[in-house]
Amino acid sequence: MTEKLTLVSHVDAINWNRIQDEKDVEVWNRLTSNFWLPEKVPISGDIQSWNTLTPQEQTLTMRVFTGLTLLDTIQGTVGAVSLIPDALTPHEEAVYTNIAFMESVHAKSYSSIFSTLCSTKEIDEAFRWSTENQNLQRKAQIVLDYYHGDDPLKRKVASTLLESFLFYSGFYLPMHWSSRAKLTNTADMIRLIIRDEAVHGYYIGYKYQKGLEKETPERREELKEYTFNLLYDLYENEVQYTHDLYDGLGMAEDVKKFLHYNANKALMNLGYEALFPSTVTDVSPAILSALSPNADENHDFFSGSGSSYVIGKHEETTDDDWDF
Amino acid sequence: MIEKPRTGMDYHSLNAMLNLYDTEGNIQFDKDREAAREYFLQHVNQNTVFFHSLKERLDYLVEKNYYEPEVLAQYDFAFIQQLHDRAYGKKFRFPTFLGAFKYYTSYTLKTFDGQRYLERYEDRVVMVSLALAAGDEALATSLVDEIIAGRFQPATPTFLNAGKAQRGEFVSCFLLRIEDNMESIGRSINSALQLSKRGGGVALSLSNIRESGAPIKHIENQSSGIIPVMKLLEDSFTYANQLGARQGAGAVYLSAHHPDIMKFMDTKRENADEKIRIKTLSLGIVVPDITFDLARKNEEMYLFSPYDVERVYGVPFGDISITEKYYEMVDDSRIRKTKISARSFFQTVAELQFESGYPYIVFEDTVNRANPVKGRINMSNLCSEILQVNTPSVFNEDLTYEETGKDISCNLGSMNIALAMDGGDLSKTVEIAVRGLTAVSTQSSIDSVPSIKYGNDRAHAIGLGQMNLHGYLGRERIHYGSEEGIDFTNIYFYTVLFHAIAASNRIAKEQGTAFEGFEDSKYASGEFFDKYTEQEWVPATSRVEQLFADAGITIPTQEDWRELKAEVQAYGIFNQNLQAVPPTGSISYINNSTSSIHPIASKIEIRKEGKLGRVYYPAPFMDNDNLEYFKDAYEIGPEKVIDTYAAATQHVDQGLSLTLFFPDTATTRDINKAQIYAWRKGIKTIYYIRIRQLALEGTEVDGCVSCML
Repeated sequence: MTEKLTLVSHVDAINWNRIQDEKDVEVWNRLTSNFWLPEKVPISGDIQSWNTLTPQEQTLTMRVFTGLTLLDTIQGTVGAVSLIPDALTPHEEAVYTNIAFMESVHAKSYSSIFSTLCSTKEIDEAFRWSTENQNLQRKAQIVLDYYHGDDPLKRKVASTLLESFLFYSGFYLPMHWSSRAKLTNTADMIRLIIRDEAVHGYYIGYKYQKGLEKETPERREELKEYTFNLLYDLYENEVQYTHDLYDGLGMAEDVKKFLHYNANKALMNLGYEALFPSTVTDVSPAILSALSPNADENHDFFSGSGSSYVIGKHEETTDDDWDF
Repeated sequence: MIEKPRTGMDYHSLNAMLNLYDTEGNIQFDKDREAAREYFLQHVNQNTVFFHSLKERLDYLVEKNYYEPEVLAQYDFAFIQQLHDRAYGKKFRFPTFLGAFKYYTSYTLKTFDGQRYLERYEDRVVMVSLALAAGDEALATSLVDEIIAGRFQPATPTFLNAGKAQRGEFVSCFLLRIEDNMESIGRSINSALQLSKRGGGVALSLSNIRESGAPIKHIENQSSGIIPVMKLLEDSFTYANQLGARQGAGAVYLSAHHPDIMKFMDTKRENADEKIRIKTLSLGIVVPDITFDLARKNEEMYLFSPYDVERVYGVPFGDISITEKYYEMVDDSRIRKTKISARSFFQTVAELQFESGYPYIVFEDTVNRANPVKGRINMSNLCSEILQVNTPSVFNEDLTYEETGKDISCNLGSMNIALAMDGGDLSKTVEIAVRGLTAVSTQSSIDSVPSIKYGNDRAHAIGLGQMNLHGYLGRERIHYGSEEGIDFTNIYFYTVLFHAIAASNRIAKEQGTAFEGFEDSKYASGEFFDKYTEQEWVPATSRVEQLFADAGITIPTQEDWRELKAEVQAYGIFNQNLQAVPPTGSISYINNSTSSIHPIASKIEIRKEGKLGRVYYPAPFMDNDNLEYFKDAYEIGPEKVIDTYAAATQHVDQGLSLTLFFPDTATTRDINKAQIYAWRKGIKTIYYIRIRQLALEGTEVDGCVSCML
């Protein structure tokens, strides 16, 4: 990976008072109010729960998280950044910088889970597994190749599939634990990540569809074919990866349903019809319900910080408000 | 517990289907009932130890050291058998999965290896009643009747622990003062550890502690203020975690006019430095009227050095009425002071509430005006419903007590409003509840913290709460916060207050004693009763009049109050405090209630807890036909919640946990406006601020109930 990333050659001062695409502002506002840092979540509350997992379950959990760390690292350092030169508006560029930063926050979050729950030796072993697992490495390579390719729309496709599809084989596990009353604080953190990724995938997919509007019918056909081919490629690899991870605990079948479900979501974000019929997307309701990115969970001081708080909009009170 | 692999739907999945609409767009209530049934078939029944008879069971449990023999020894076996049959005769069933799951996960007696269940729900109810009644057969019978019917529900620590040989305390909520010296700080950290170990949540007042930069031994710039004390407390609560069951929980309260107030709040900032960031400690602020007055005039508010104030007035900072002494202190050159803009103070409060839900707020002057007991209230507890007077302790250098002050423990339990109305005998239900809670107080002895024991022994303060208001209103097809809804709340709490005082008065007669300090109270002077003897309280709407008439519940008249006043002035009341409305988490699930007197947070509530994971809970009495009466708190909005609470507050001597709910489109100004409104309506405390963010269109999970407006 020696080639240089193309940088934007000309920059004008960004004027947030001249908005070309309202979606940019909407997403920017959403992302900034969703801002969070891993320190927010009291992961240490999960230590007891972690110790109730079998060694096999612990290993699986660590491997899942190293896999996610790798994807977030790619997305933070290459993926989101590589989208900047293709941005249609300056505000879109700003949104990508935010996405890139948050991806790095996510990558760091997994480390804070590790350092709270596991020993250095275990962490190193899990990272070694991640560099040695062919399917994980291949997944990373496929995506990286497309980021380094020269087609801006294809980059967006790769990025959307990563955000909306590839992460989810990993997200399955903490959602599964949380529905079984395990690692619930960790699940809170993952839910914060899911909340972000849901917006990222949606936004990049939206920008892809915007870009598609300017293309010829032939080219649209080509991109659609390309998207489905890439999805097949990734899907095949993802199935292998899922078996590598989950076979030992007999969860692979349900994880695959979850993959189908999310593949359909990724396609929806890109403006395409679903690929998998509903008969193979019937994810366990416990997982599906656990996913809800909304913030209406009811919790109190016994249950950790939850995944619901946002940074508020400041507004000064006026004399009228104080008129009593 | 042993989980068998299953072929069909497991109960967690069935329960989760509550949160997903069926193909016709209906909420799948039947799936949750199925989940509850499956939970018993697949799990509970297979893991419950079987006994041939009650006798065999009790002998075994006593012999193996599961049950306290002293509790059973107070009764004839024949009576226990009869009580047991009476309880089982009621055919109790858990209506929701969460109710059953919560009960078996957290309350029921298990074998020491945690693998098998030794009690069913009826057994727990009988054991709790036997323990609280302390040999009084009639009371034990009444308690079983009230609890198994769901009209009265003891708080978690009582319901969980009573009758067990290996048990924690009956109370789990404590309030402690801290004075401005190292002995008091050290002792309070020890108390935090001791009480956490026993399963308690502890609130501490930091208002008296000198600010950062204050002198120590007259040397300037020495004190590091309250933040390091908060850190110590936070670590103490995290350390003592009840055999890993759950972490200790703590809250700290600080006066709005303490110089460290901004630092205090900044500990909850999203980007706070790790060294000062407070993650798990809950924060509360104590705000006097003068602060609102200064904000109204858009003036600066002065913050006063507690160190200097204590030297000038000879009493700790927290025991001063800031509203009363404000201008005097401003003019007093001996008191060091700094100032901040009052409005920006309120704005910061709102910002923090957005980010973290904290701080809680105590409206200090409202609270003290409504306090019938001599003394000053300067803090609240972890749930902001306990409002009682306290007095300082003085320590020797070895941390023994030179003078024991009065600290506070909360003896709580709640009534289910819907079932209490259905029961038709509110007087009896309230009386049994008050007697049950009084037993909690008299049977508690927190020896590890002498100031709490001292306070409890003299005050016998209890906090009778209420829950399931929204469930009741919804069932009766009344909108929460409507005129009829508020009218009902007013008359219900009015009636409960009457019966609570009457019950406490009867106990005082029986015991031949009132709480310590009764003679200095507004009950003794009669002043407390003025608003009931001089003013007539009757339903304002025909609907509410009808509801009470249909239930066969009579509403006390002015004449009733005059008689009660005479009785109270002659014999006193046994309990220094009577009512406090807690937020009711766990017990409202077991009891199939909506929490407290809040509106529901969501039609299908997502509950997350360490022991349970993520579980889904339908609002009680809700079905696909009456959904419109089960609007959630965000739709209902803060004003109607405040109006409802204000109607109840006027009849409650302590506080009511009041959470305000906002959509994420709200601004800090909206929160400030709600705070001002609450303060003006006579609300005593504000508990959490909850913000709900809806999923960005296009990113939501399809067909999910709790994801929709």
